[in-house]
Amino acid sequence: MEERETMSSTTTKTKPKRSNSEFWIWFAASVAFRLVLIHLPKNLHLSSRPEVATPLTSIRRLAEGYWLKQSSMSPYAGSMYHGSPLLLLVLGPLTVKRIEGQPEHLLCSLLLVIADIVSALLIRSTGQSLHKSYVQHLEALDLFKFSEESGMLPSGDIAALVYLWNPFTIVACVGLSTSPIENLAILLALYGACKGLVPLAAFGWVLATHMSLYPAILIIPIILFLGYGPDAPPRKLFLQRSYRKCGTSSSSDQYRKTEDVTDPLELRINFSWRRVMQFLLWTFIWGIYFLLLCDISVKQYGGLSEMFKRTYGFILTVKDLSPNIGVLWYFFAEVFNFFRDFFLIVFHVNILFMILPLAIRLKHRPGFLAFVYLAISSMFKSYPSIGDSALYLGVVALFVNELADMNFSFFLFCGYVGVSLLSPVMHNLWIWRGTGNANFYFATAMAYACLQIVLVVESVSAMLNHDRKLRKITTAQLADGKS
Amino acid sequence: MVLRSRPIFSLLLLFLSSYGFSTAFASGSAIEGGEEDFSEELLLKPLPDRKVLAHFHFETRAPRTPSYGRHHHLFPKAIAQLVKKFHIQEMELSFTQGRWNYESWGGFEPIASSNAKPPGVELWAVFDVPPDDVDASWKNLTHSISGLFCASINFLESSTAYAAPKWSFRPDPGSLRYGTLPREAVCTENLTPWLKLLPCRDKAGISLLMDRPSIYRGFYHSQRLRLRSAKTSSDGTHSSIILEQTLTVVLHPDSQKMSTVNSREPTLQPSWSMSSLFGKKISGTCVLAKSSTVYLQLDWGVVRELKNLENGNQVLGVASIMEESFVSNPAFVLSDKPDKVIREVDSRSEESAILYEFSVRKHSDLGPFDLGFTWKTPVVWSCPQLPLRVSRFLMGSGNERGAIAISFRSARAREGLTHAKSMGESCKVDVNVFQVVPWYIKVYFHTMKVFVDGKPLAVSDIIEKIHVSPSEDKVSPGVLEMILKLPCTVDSAAFTLEFDKGFLHIDEYPPDANQGFDIPPAVITFPTFHVNMHFGEDNLSKKSAVLSRFQENIPVRSYTEVLLVPLTTPDFSMPYNVITITCTVFALYFGSLLNVLRRRVNEEERFLKSKGKRPSALSRLLSKLSAKLGGKRVVASQSSARSSSFISLKLILKIILVAGIAIAWQYFSE
Amino acid sequence: MYARFCFFSLSRMATLWILLSLACWNSFAGASSSSSSEASMHTNNWAVLVCTSRFWFNYRHMANTLSLYRTVKRLGIPDERIILMLADDMACNSRNKYPAQVFNNENHRLNLYGDNVEVDYRGYEVTVENFFRVLTGRHETSVPRSKRLLSDEGSHILLYMTGHGGDEFLKFQDSEELQSHDLADAVKQMKEKRRFKELLIMVDTCQAATLFNQLHSPGVLAIGSSRKGENSYSHHLDSDVGVSVVDRFTFYTLAYFERVNMYDNASLSSLFSSYNPSLLMSTTYYRTDLYQRHLEQVPVTNFFGSVMETIYTDSPYRSPQRKDSHKGDIRMSSDQSIEDEKGKMPCEADVVDNGDLDAVQQGLLGYIWSDLHMKLESFGDGDTLVYYGMLMLAPFLAVSTWISL
Repeated sequence: MEERETMSSTTTKTKPKRSNSEFWIWFAASVAFRLVLIHLPKNLHLSSRPEVATPLTSIRRLAEGYWLKQSSMSPYAGSMYHGSPLLLLVLGPLTVKRIEGQPEHLLCSLLLVIADIVSALLIRSTGQSLHKSYVQHLEALDLFKFSEESGMLPSGDIAALVYLWNPFTIVACVGLSTSPIENLAILLALYGACKGLVPLAAFGWVLATHMSLYPAILIIPIILFLGYGPDAPPRKLFLQRSYRKCGTSSSSDQYRKTEDVTDPLELRINFSWRRVMQFLLWTFIWGIYFLLLCDISVKQYGGLSEMFKRTYGFILTVKDLSPNIGVLWYFFAEVFNFFRDFFLIVFHVNILFMILPLAIRLKHRPGFLAFVYLAISSMFKSYPSIGDSALYLGVVALFVNELADMNFSFFLFCGYVGVSLLSPVMHNLWIWRGTGNANFYFATAMAYACLQIVLVVESVSAMLNHDRKLRKITTAQLADGKS
Repeated sequence: MVLRSRPIFSLLLLFLSSYGFSTAFASGSAIEGGEEDFSEELLLKPLPDRKVLAHFHFETRAPRTPSYGRHHHLFPKAIAQLVKKFHIQEMELSFTQGRWNYESWGGFEPIASSNAKPPGVELWAVFDVPPDDVDASWKNLTHSISGLFCASINFLESSTAYAAPKWSFRPDPGSLRYGTLPREAVCTENLTPWLKLLPCRDKAGISLLMDRPSIYRGFYHSQRLRLRSAKTSSDGTHSSIILEQTLTVVLHPDSQKMSTVNSREPTLQPSWSMSSLFGKKISGTCVLAKSSTVYLQLDWGVVRELKNLENGNQVLGVASIMEESFVSNPAFVLSDKPDKVIREVDSRSEESAILYEFSVRKHSDLGPFDLGFTWKTPVVWSCPQLPLRVSRFLMGSGNERGAIAISFRSARAREGLTHAKSMGESCKVDVNVFQVVPWYIKVYFHTMKVFVDGKPLAVSDIIEKIHVSPSEDKVSPGVLEMILKLPCTVDSAAFTLEFDKGFLHIDEYPPDANQGFDIPPAVITFPTFHVNMHFGEDNLSKKSAVLSRFQENIPVRSYTEVLLVPLTTPDFSMPYNVITITCTVFALYFGSLLNVLRRRVNEEERFLKSKGKRPSALSRLLSKLSAKLGGKRVVASQSSARSSSFISLKLILKIILVAGIAIAWQYFSE
Repeated sequence: MYARFCFFSLSRMATLWILLSLACWNSFAGASSSSSSEASMHTNNWAVLVCTSRFWFNYRHMANTLSLYRTVKRLGIPDERIILMLADDMACNSRNKYPAQVFNNENHRLNLYGDNVEVDYRGYEVTVENFFRVLTGRHETSVPRSKRLLSDEGSHILLYMTGHGGDEFLKFQDSEELQSHDLADAVKQMKEKRRFKELLIMVDTCQAATLFNQLHSPGVLAIGSSRKGENSYSHHLDSDVGVSVVDRFTFYTLAYFERVNMYDNASLSSLFSSYNPSLLMSTTYYRTDLYQRHLEQVPVTNFFGSVMETIYTDSPYRSPQRKDSHKGDIRMSSDQSIEDEKGKMPCEADVVDNGDLDAVQQGLLGYIWSDLHMKLESFGDGDTLVYYGMLMLAPFLAVSTWISL
């Protein structure tokens, strides 16, 4: 679907005025579309689809937790609700309130729509700033001509529209899952990091980690963002270039230093510890703040330890075996109890294991690194929902220009469409008709995992190749510059 | 030990029988003195739908003594040790097969509300131990009972199987545990140990009638064991354990025997006798029994019909059924002459039930005792109904979610409701619901809905009191106790609750998983209605255990159906496929990503050399589009390095192939 | 615990003190076995009769097992020393035309389900795990004596199994399998625990012989209804019951035992030679290489009957250690019951001390935490406080961001 959106908005490429207006038209259209869907009866039974409502994101479980809380029981009593108590306080009352003549849960869905809008805007501005820095760097490398040729797309608008028009996002929003809010938090963190707003980044990161454990690994790209600034070609190129400069201008060392200082881009090369320290400080502050709030709200229900046991514990030890689009549920339904703990460790380590190599290889492109992490975690998290896929699909569209020559993009597109059509059919056959078999549904989950894997691998290699291409060109320039 | 204690007791019984039954009171006082006694009774009762209810009642009582190794003459040692070991205050265990038909066998009467049990096994016990040890003693109790009665009651040991009701099941301090096994099979091997608890097993006395095939051929049989402790002396220093064993059977008299007599009137109720019901006669009494009596009960419905009959054909007055001269009774003939006719004095209605009492000892002196009951004229009557007819069913389809619905229908039991009117100032029917739900039925309590006469009502103004303990996955079942206040004029009310069906681990499914899982029945109690029959003279209660049970003031209780919930099953056949394929996918991810990351530059250079300048699909597309829209010439974009996805592509294809083959094979192998 | 259990479960037993002696022999196996000589005398007979298959159409397997049950009872093994495992309830099955009766012959002369059968394991309890627990005697502490195989090193044990099997396995309830390796290991363990002197394993299933391949413990005698690759067939079908009621192997075994009474000493060899392959439509296989004595000298009543030999002992009266073992069990299960309570309803009390617990665990931070608690207590409702906190978030966030610009 990326492609489609890209086409729709490539028209805006050349004439910025029109592009802006068109963007807003598409934007409004998407919002209107959501509102229409919300008003359809029973919101199309989406709220009970396994793809949308995992044990963590289901609104019914949240309502149950709120009911228990209202009847002065622990919301975690009876393993129904496993989310954050703050989310419960925010969304809980909305699940109860009814407006006459309106579909129930209207307020919730409005809130989710707003969350989607805000996150789309965040993506847009993030994309714009990324775009700016990208162009800036190319100019700095005297590659702007090249960029002109390849045709620069306004990646921010594209990404925002991809996010808004992605069927996954729409379904997750209309289906009343809480994932739009988690996505909002994550995007907030990325936006803040990209714009260099340290407290915002810290806030977003803490909130996201608090709501669903996995965004914790985003701390690495955020720190890199704050340290090196937004995505840039590898640092070597600038070094070469500056070396070339000072090579041509025969001068002394301190002269070169002063020149280095004057060059704005050189600042980006060295890692700015100050902002990272600020970030950690703010993270600590926000963390304490959130812990405090949680502790107050779960004080009479067993305190924080109970909360952690019921939320993070539930995520880490895959207790609920109800089917979802991930691969873990069926695995743990079939594996022998004797090996359960071993495999739990193995699968979670699988997520952590790739963090370091990726960080080393992509440290100059924190935004892209964030995308890769998001994709990996949505691949292997214990209760994945399509909201997560919506998020990383939106983020990957930020790098349209860099990933322009990615392989298998068409194959991936078809794969996504096929799986999202086939998986409900298999689920229906198995659960409702009773004619199918659990293996059918699990097969689609497998295919989905494979697709995500291909996406990650291909995009990473494409990004690396893009950098290599830049380096090749610069070296060529250096060569004729020398001559 | 019984054999050894027999002579003593035959002496004692000689003494008793010499004084006849007038010494019953004396023997009653002897109880307080610390003697044990045993009484056996059988109550027969014709039912409206051409069936006969037989209710055996054996009662053994022994004084509670602090000493451990007390020697019991009559009281079964096994039970005594249970009581001692687990500090049981009160216990009830019932094995039941079939469902009590509340409509046609009556619900508003002592036998129905105390002996109609859910199918399978029901066990509850009250311990007097510190609250921390209750569960432990429950666990051990279930194990030892399962050993005693040859049933797999030890499945009630796991914390997912039993519940601790707060108040709704019965008011109690809270050391009560309650559990049911709806699918437990009930058969001879359960009845035999139960009979072995009797002083003279099934060798003499009324228990002679228990011929296994004829009992298990019945429509409903519920074998029950109840332990109570009663204060025998006023100051409560002497308390005594009462072991109450009842067997309630609903039998169909095989009409072949009687058809010869009157095959013309099809509407005539089938006549029956003990021998036709059980295939046996009572020959010889159990000498250890204080009293062994057979009662024949006629419902007030029958009595009313008979009276109308007599008023119809104007034979001598209404009194005739009550008189000893029942031979002149136009409706039926008894084969033996009752020793006594007891009539119930009822506050509710002018008609009231009648009991004919036969002393086995007296009758079995002359030949085996075989009570026969022969109808002469067709009589149609109906049994006293429950105030509200309760039924429970499942809603929804598919194996993902559903809803439980409990529906109450007014049974037009006028006397019941007038009764309520008389006692309740603002006429409300209290309905007390106690429901245990296994954990894999994940109930959403916030979806509770109440409909009265089809109109949805706010939950808060119907439910007076509610206690919920939600189910914990693999730890504890969900328990719902509540008191509904329904208006007396209600025609129908319904209560619904939505649930999701859980998914279990492959080892947690039973061998016949596709048969479905049982939701134990809900216990419905009507606290404002009490069934009790009053009889004229009150030393009856001293004499006969059954009648004293009847006089107790117990609330009306009924059980709903057991629900069968089909759960989705995973594929049991080959877990290895799942494990291997999943691990393969992980390996694919890990390997290919690592492969991409660890490529060094010079290999890349070689790649760039090797591959020609072929832009990929997307870039060409983009450039074309941009060219079209921008009105520019298409410029072949820079050569993009063909990514290192050769290997990964091969890998992916291989993996997908393997997975596809595996799945296909799996599919066809079924 | 044993002592108490045996008290009540014995109240229905006729031979009280033999079992007591057995109990103490069993529980003191460690001590007694070290002292006892290798050539221990034959003390008693036990029988473990297992019907492993569920569902109505397997009626005949239950009939097989029950007929064997009747036979060994007739030949003198008392009910307390027979462990009877029936995987399903056929007698009171709703499909059974003759409730509470089971027949193994068309002429319904003999009701196998007589008036006193004692089924020890039935229905879902008949699993491979429980089977091995019975053989090896590794039960939970609370399992009653009637469900245990309390044999000693002088016992002769008859182990009869019937069901659906295959090459080196026997299916339990159509859901799990008993492998020949597992059987061999269990028998080995029994031998090492001195739980039997001689063991006769009799299996009536398809390819029964393969089930014995891994056996290697001395004193084990095995007989199977069919060799590898052979099926063992049912004998005849009862058109009233609607299913076939007995298997051929068992049928002819019974036919043999009908001629035997408790006192004559027909030898095992005569039993083994009584099987006629043409009638069985399968060749019986028996394995004698692990068995020392000559089958000619061994009377069948060595396994199928019982010799009443009683050893007087006063062991039940020295049972303090059992008592405190029982106490220990109580304690163990009691604290897990506490957990259950918590799981059910987190009541105020333990919530509170949870709070303190956190304080202790979190150390310094925790103390700040706790007195923060104290302060927060002064505010009224927690939730409103949290709402205020969350409202506070927005300006706080805005200000901080603005500062950092």
